[in-house]
Amino acid sequence: MMTLIRRELLDNLMTFRFAVAVFIIFLLVVANTAVLIKDHERRLAGHKTEVQKSRNYMSEGKTYSVIELHVDRPPNPLSIFNTGLDKRLGNEIWVYYGHIPTLWDAEKHSSQNPFMNILSSIDIVFIFQGVLSLLALIFAYDTLAGEYERGTLRLVLTHSVSRGHILLAKYISAMVCLLVPTLMSLILALILLTTSPSFSLSMQDFLRIGGIMVASIAYLSVFYLIGMLISSMTRRTSTALMLSMFVWGFLVLVYPNMIVAVIQPSNPPEERKASAHNHIKQIWEAFERERKHYLTTDTHLEGDPYGNLPWRDGYNFEHFQDKVSVLQYYYHAGAEIDGFREARESQVLHVQDYHRFLVPLIIDAAEHTWRVRKPVLEELFVLPATIDKIWLRLSPTGIYDIATQALAGTDLNGIQDFFTAVQQYRQSVIDYYYDKKVFASREWFSFDKAAVDWRTLPQFSFQRSDISINVKRALPDLFLLLMINIVLFIGIFLVFVRREV
Amino acid sequence: MWHIAKRELYDNLNSLRFALTTVLLLALMLTNAIVHLREHPKRVQKYNDAVTGYENRLASYANESLYLLAQQGPGDLHKKPSPLHFCAEGGDAFLSGTVNAGDPFMYSADMTGVWKLSYPAVTPNLENVRPDAIKLDWGFIIGYVLSLVALLFTFDAISGERERGTLRLMLANSIPRHTVLIGKFLGALISVSIPFTLSVLINLLVISTDSDLHLNAEAWERLGIIFCIALLYMSLFLALGLLVSTRVRQSAVSLVILLLVWVTLVVFMPNTLASMTGEFSPSMLSGEFWKRYRQLHQELDEKYEDRVWSDNSDIKTLTARSEYFSLHVVLDERLNEDRLNLQINQFRHARSIIRVSPVAIVQHLLESFAGTGFERHLQFIENTQRYARHFREFVVDTDRKDPKSRHLIGIREGMAEKPVSPASVPKFEDTLSLSKDFNTRAMELLLLTLFVMVLLSGAYLAFVRVEV
Repeated sequence: MMTLIRRELLDNLMTFRFAVAVFIIFLLVVANTAVLIKDHERRLAGHKTEVQKSRNYMSEGKTYSVIELHVDRPPNPLSIFNTGLDKRLGNEIWVYYGHIPTLWDAEKHSSQNPFMNILSSIDIVFIFQGVLSLLALIFAYDTLAGEYERGTLRLVLTHSVSRGHILLAKYISAMVCLLVPTLMSLILALILLTTSPSFSLSMQDFLRIGGIMVASIAYLSVFYLIGMLISSMTRRTSTALMLSMFVWGFLVLVYPNMIVAVIQPSNPPEERKASAHNHIKQIWEAFERERKHYLTTDTHLEGDPYGNLPWRDGYNFEHFQDKVSVLQYYYHAGAEIDGFREARESQVLHVQDYHRFLVPLIIDAAEHTWRVRKPVLEELFVLPATIDKIWLRLSPTGIYDIATQALAGTDLNGIQDFFTAVQQYRQSVIDYYYDKKVFASREWFSFDKAAVDWRTLPQFSFQRSDISINVKRALPDLFLLLMINIVLFIGIFLVFVRREV
Repeated sequence: MWHIAKRELYDNLNSLRFALTTVLLLALMLTNAIVHLREHPKRVQKYNDAVTGYENRLASYANESLYLLAQQGPGDLHKKPSPLHFCAEGGDAFLSGTVNAGDPFMYSADMTGVWKLSYPAVTPNLENVRPDAIKLDWGFIIGYVLSLVALLFTFDAISGERERGTLRLMLANSIPRHTVLIGKFLGALISVSIPFTLSVLINLLVISTDSDLHLNAEAWERLGIIFCIALLYMSLFLALGLLVSTRVRQSAVSLVILLLVWVTLVVFMPNTLASMTGEFSPSMLSGEFWKRYRQLHQELDEKYEDRVWSDNSDIKTLTARSEYFSLHVVLDERLNEDRLNLQINQFRHARSIIRVSPVAIVQHLLESFAGTGFERHLQFIENTQRYARHFREFVVDTDRKDPKSRHLIGIREGMAEKPVSPASVPKFEDTLSLSKDFNTRAMELLLLTLFVMVLLSGAYLAFVRVEV
């Protein structure tokens, strides 16, 4: 057994293709890591300026009703390994008590040139997807067919070695050969990452990277086994090579792109969207009726909360935000009023009463809207993505991509984690408001007595999900990769055992 | 020479790779056609709806008064979808389909500015959480699949014959070496062209069965050019295959080299270079934009503050107001244009750098001949700007014809009260012209030809000097 492995290993190591493999992987990984680190630094700088800017916005607001709480999604450092959706989706979101923020309300902070998005982005997993699979096939196509052609296979089998051992020896030695450049390039990439000052990778991040390595090895092995299967089934190396190349082209290049183009959601989304939009609109119309009713019943207000307030300076606004494409519908109002001309405190108290009544009503309507909106958003946007992923799993490339995205936390779940944190933040802000009875306070709409001290507001913080959650998300796909490995190996064994030499 | 080409062709026609290529290309082209038939009517419908939308909008305002027409304008202007969208998607998902000209600026409840153009800074496609994929257009099929196939057809052209010993046999006859090489090249060219042409024809057949999508003569002309570009691009990879095949003794090694060159050249180089270009010539950041915006407005406000906001409406105030509004629009549009130009320049820069990779060249060429993508977007923006000028001239001219008007554009008291005939209002029409495309693209075509020439002559030189 060991002699077999040693022989195969030496055979593989001395070849020209091994040298080329090492060179190409090194070149691509190192060059791209350097570029990706620069890109990440740029994104991080953009994020920092945005955070600074949102602080400024916050401090500009002088009353609670006009404070703008902006939250910016930090770039995920592991997006270097698999960008996923991290770069493409919105990263700036506005937290408002009257609307439940989701991924689809987020916008992209405009520190970047929008045209540059046309150019596709690259990551280390993308390199591995293309190059590792290609290399694995190049190493595998002649393992059995080549020996058969040269006649050495017959020679080996005349010794008392079982066929299973031969297969295992070939597999192990080729995998070792392939793993050397893969792991070395990954380690080089890691060295580059750790020397860059903008990356602060935690222990968990290293574990995640370890997970990505495991997935890469499993992926590599799948393609090596595919190549071996083809090699065991064909009599000539040239046929094996041709078949391997077309299989590669189909599995890596064509299928993942084709399937996303072909699949389309079956139900007509526009109708579903329209009916949900109507429903949400009704909720807010009911809210508006109640608001109008309150305004007319309170004789001091006479239809306009600020109308009877004699004020010197400032502004107030109210409007309904309506964006059908993502079912965004909410009532937005605020006021920032400075000093009243004459102290008509009783009138001010009435306005305070109005807000005490109104704001909980807005929050209620927002919750109600959310109950309608959530399932529709899931159906409109998440469901097609899930279906796509199911189909993508038919290609090992797709499985590998999905697994590493889940590990890096750049998949949809990882991004949604951030928005769940934003929703929790909104809830904590509302709780704070309730706690301090902010709605009923004078500072809600006016700053003549005291401006709001925004430093006492709860601060937003976001921690990427725990590694155990990431692993849990990636585990099914990792198992799928392993299973494909086992099935392929059994297949090769069966084919090879029955084969006449 | 023809004899060699014929022999090559017969050899290839019977081979496994020919069969696999035919199946692969047919499947891809059929998928492309089906997806196009499914998606294109939606795009056309959307555009038509938008056109009727702003025609109605213009008509309704024109029936009110010239003032409202000038103030509200035609609204958002939409990009016309290209009938050849299936040839090159051209990143249309990331390009804005409109130039925004939303509601005019409200100074106060009774004072509203005039219509102006602004260019959306946001990236569309933020809602889509489906996995990323390269669009399955001709650009992909030609750029990635066809180039790979071309390499698979030529990697053993010379080295395979040498391995089998037939090369020596052939050269023992009185055939000059360049004839052998050209014969091999032509044979491979024809044998790859057969499945490609077949799949293209079936693709076009499926697409032209749909009566909604009529391709006019010009579209067919463009398709012809695209087909020629595809052949040129294919010859580039055939020549590369021949070059490596002559230099290397074993065909397996030749294929390994070719595949790795292909992966680097086609898959990685455009992406990596593109990520690098973000460093150069950065565009105007939003912070800087708003700083300049505020500065300009402050200057303008200071200049006009005391004259515009008085309550009396004598001729002096009105003139100042009209001037203020139009200057406001001019400054805004200029600032927006400045930012847009910086962004365009940065992106142009990036595109010229990734042109090192032939796949980028061929995709740019396909985009421009299919009337999609970035250059088309620029044309669309230019069209909207021309239309905006035209529209404003129309407003001024119509106003001038009315003797009762005070000829102060942009304010109610200063403009003609009479309604305008909706038919006379200029309509926005988005056009694209081939001649212009060709001029901008001639350079890339030449570059591609140059690559082919260099590789072919390289292969020739290598083959002449090689020992058999």
